[in-house]
Amino acid sequence: MTTSVVSSQPADRAHERSWWQRLPKGGVLFSILWLGILVFLVVFADYLSFIRDPDAKVRVAGRLQSNYKLGPGYSAWFGVDGNSQDVFARCIYYARNSLQIGLASTVLGLLIGGTLGVLAGYFRGWIDRIISILIDCLLAIPALVLAVMLIFRLDDIKATWTFLGWMTRKWQIIMTLSILAVAPLARIVRAQTLSLREREFVTAARSLGAKNGRIITKEIVPNLVPTMVTVAFTGLGILIAAEGALAFLGLGLTESWGFQIESNRRRLEKAWWATVFPCLMLLGTVMAFNLLGDRLAKRFDIREAAV
Amino acid sequence: MRYFLQRFAQLLIVFGLVSFGVLLVMRIGSNSPEELAIKLYGGRPLSPDELTEAISRYHLDTNYFVQYFYWLKGLVIDFDLGQSVANSRAVADLLKPRVWTTVLLGLYANVFGMLIAIPVAVRQAYKRDGRFDKAAGLMTFVGVGVPAIVLGVLLQLLFTVKLGWFPLIGDKIYPWDDLGQHVRNFFLPTLTLTIPVAAIFARLLRAEMVLTLQSDFITLASAKGVSPARVLWRHALRNSLFSIVTAVGTNLGALLGSAVVVETLFDLDGLGSQLVVSVLSSDLFTVQSFVAIIVLLVVSVNLLVDLAYALIDPRIRQMRSLG
Repeated sequence: MTTSVVSSQPADRAHERSWWQRLPKGGVLFSILWLGILVFLVVFADYLSFIRDPDAKVRVAGRLQSNYKLGPGYSAWFGVDGNSQDVFARCIYYARNSLQIGLASTVLGLLIGGTLGVLAGYFRGWIDRIISILIDCLLAIPALVLAVMLIFRLDDIKATWTFLGWMTRKWQIIMTLSILAVAPLARIVRAQTLSLREREFVTAARSLGAKNGRIITKEIVPNLVPTMVTVAFTGLGILIAAEGALAFLGLGLTESWGFQIESNRRRLEKAWWATVFPCLMLLGTVMAFNLLGDRLAKRFDIREAAV
Repeated sequence: MRYFLQRFAQLLIVFGLVSFGVLLVMRIGSNSPEELAIKLYGGRPLSPDELTEAISRYHLDTNYFVQYFYWLKGLVIDFDLGQSVANSRAVADLLKPRVWTTVLLGLYANVFGMLIAIPVAVRQAYKRDGRFDKAAGLMTFVGVGVPAIVLGVLLQLLFTVKLGWFPLIGDKIYPWDDLGQHVRNFFLPTLTLTIPVAAIFARLLRAEMVLTLQSDFITLASAKGVSPARVLWRHALRNSLFSIVTAVGTNLGALLGSAVVVETLFDLDGLGSQLVVSVLSSDLFTVQSFVAIIVLLVVSVNLLVDLAYALIDPRIRQMRSLG
């Protein structure tokens, strides 16, 4: 996605402004607040008294609130679902899975995709050709279709190849989602490396006798960091949405916002809260990461930051 | 012409590699042809006769390359994609009626996406950084990022549950059968798919238009007295439309991914929802063929985009035939 050019704030007047004027504006403020609060709640969920055990049945005055009896209110902030469990507590606890899976698969995807991209862009020639064909092939399969296919097959392959036994469902999802991230990342990194390798400082390093390995690690990779960080934030949002979609389709974890939506959506008429709140959690988290990614893309002037 | 042959060959290679990869992913991890045959038939125990028949029919005792060759031959020559285990029907019979749902959804999303995006983006670029530009910029930003499940559920809540305009359980009705019913059933899924597409198109087109409006030929056109509307809609828009045409191709994967979710959410019987059903009942033949067909769709649309690109712009045609 192309980002528009924005006029940057004059930085030299920063000391004249009071602290509330120096707060990040609009979207970034929302992102930081949303993610900060979410991470705090997720980390300390076990110790905070207002977050119930996600599997406990909610009782008000000793009576079981079964079958969506309790709407959003004081005793259960987001209401209860069909099994009389607290929707708010579940939303918070399931955020653990979403954030963990998103982070782990982004890191894995960055490592694999970044390596491929740097190799293709730096060495060019037949390495570039092979990696480019691989990227083209991966991009020809719609990401979600690829994910559906891989998760499905990993179950079976795991049963035959016992050395993959350590792979729990969560790891399967992380592996699959990181494969989704590889192709777009590799493409962006490749393009950046191609332009970086022609720059003067690389020529200078080479004329001083630096080896390829040194040029890549000391000259190229540090200059790729802004791009990678930016793409990582946008990618996190997309991967968390993909995790939700997988869970929604019944192929992900059952402890996930997507599965909450799936299991409650047939009762939308009776109890909107059990479906809408997980939706809003997913939307807020995805948006928070997208906003951060967008801000960083403008800051570093990166144009192809879309995954 | 050489350029198209080149592109065509490239896309054929991609399709070949991907469909071989899909076959590999589907069939890898079995220790013997017998085990593979049982898996392909959905895991139920087979009698010795059935076993030998299955192995010889799909050449399971050979290596993957030979198996791929026979699968490809089945796809291209007699459209025999194997047997779906779940419904014990031919995969081809399962496939044909469902392709249209997905193709129609994709077509609608792209067409309506353009119809929405073009006026919005032109208005945005015309009064850049104005109030409309900022508001539309925020909306398109949300539109690009919103996950399909969230959008679908919220639209369902609004239009079906609160307003009661559309049926909750969708049904696959084609425009040539009953147009009114078709609109009722396809409206919400189409809207869910259209909003992100329109948002992406609008953002790309706005950025492109802003750049185009700064170029010299626009200044010249205004200076020689062409009306502002004509400058905007004819000169600038025409030169910026390529960004959208490219985006149709690059965005198709994401669109088809959302279509999987949307078809499941709205109970439309399409490629995506059937793929999920087949995966959940571990129906290997069906999954393999469906993925291959989806990839074929993506690849051919990308080829069409390339063709359209060169048809619209004579400069590109010339440049590419030279280089």
